[in-house]
Amino acid sequence: MTGIRTVFGRNRRLLAYILAGAFLMSIIFSPNFIRPLAGDVAGLFILYPFSELRNYIVDLQGVAEENRRLRNALTEVTTQLSAMAEARRENQRLREFLGFDPPENSRVVPVKIVSMGHQLYPVSALINKGSNDSIRIDQPVINRFGLAGKIKEVMPDFATVQLLTDPSNAVSGRAAESRQLGIVRFSPVRGMYFDNLPADADIAAGDLIITSGLGGIYPAGLTVAVVDSVYVERGEILKEVFLKPAVNLNEIDELYVLFKEPQ
Amino acid sequence: MSIMPYILYLYLLGFHVTIFSDVSSIYGVTIDLAALMVCLVAIYKSELTALWFALAAAIVVGATRLEMMPWELLFLGILAVTVRHLSLRVNLESLASRLLLLAGGILFHKLAVSLAVSSAGFFMMLYRYIIPGVFYTWVLGWVYFMYRDGRITWTKFKALF
Repeated sequence: MTGIRTVFGRNRRLLAYILAGAFLMSIIFSPNFIRPLAGDVAGLFILYPFSELRNYIVDLQGVAEENRRLRNALTEVTTQLSAMAEARRENQRLREFLGFDPPENSRVVPVKIVSMGHQLYPVSALINKGSNDSIRIDQPVINRFGLAGKIKEVMPDFATVQLLTDPSNAVSGRAAESRQLGIVRFSPVRGMYFDNLPADADIAAGDLIITSGLGGIYPAGLTVAVVDSVYVERGEILKEVFLKPAVNLNEIDELYVLFKEPQ
Repeated sequence: MSIMPYILYLYLLGFHVTIFSDVSSIYGVTIDLAALMVCLVAIYKSELTALWFALAAAIVVGATRLEMMPWELLFLGILAVTVRHLSLRVNLESLASRLLLLAGGILFHKLAVSLAVSSAGFFMMLYRYIIPGVFYTWVLGWVYFMYRDGRITWTKFKALF
């Protein structure tokens, strides 16, 4: 034993080469046992932790990618949902409009609002139809609740609607019940009011104000507003009648231009 | 001989083989860390240490491609012994001689492994992958030599910024 140790001790280099050669031979000539075994040992003890780490990183990258994809899908779905909700609301409005009867001897053309003109409150609206669609100046514009305004300017494909909230717009109106005549005006300070009504006029809160048909622009009978409150100052000759517009001009969406049909 | 540093080297090699090789590749040009480490061990350590480390490194590298394991054993073993013997005949104090030794060793390993895999499109592989890969690995070795010689220090590195 001691002799063997001495021989190997003196010839460590030779022994190392013999062992290395034998190992190489075993790897070459045992492709189904030694080689896979060596690969397994190296894989298990050295490569496996890193391969797990790599898989974890790849999974994380996959999660990030999936997260990004899901976010995109969510954005698409949200957009579609918004469009569907909008279509549902439009459908509801159109259903309501089916029960809306335009004034006698007239027809309505639906228009879409392109933009609103504001001076703290909406005063005008740009609609998507113009002279190419036979829109003319001073045509009444309504929605399903009542009068919204009139056409003020016309372009080939667009037109401007002067809303009732424009202080320069005045409408000849009438109390639906008492038939009292007056002028519906709008003031930024006072809001909508019924002007030129005598102090002894028969009018009360809740009364409906409709167009009188005088002036030739608006046909008679279009709903304009509801009387909100009535004040009479002692010694004054006119009543102060404040109105609540029938059309909420902050929420208008679809409008209809009124066309007089030839009789 | 403490075996611990060599086990750490093998883990470093395993990390390179599984993760870092892909991360550090530039247009498919990769670092031949096995050849680099075997050359470095052969330059600074004994012949037998270099030989056994080369065989262990070959098994780690070959574990991912078993059909290449015998070739890796052969080429890395030859590389370790050759570089060790050459390093005894050159002036290791000279950075140039070490760099030359390193470049030759890495080129030998890259060429041998590439030819063992396939000789088809060898010249394209030579210009497209082998020579750039040798250069990439050689630069890494050069940085290591500079660091080991104290020409690159942390203080100097920080001073750059």
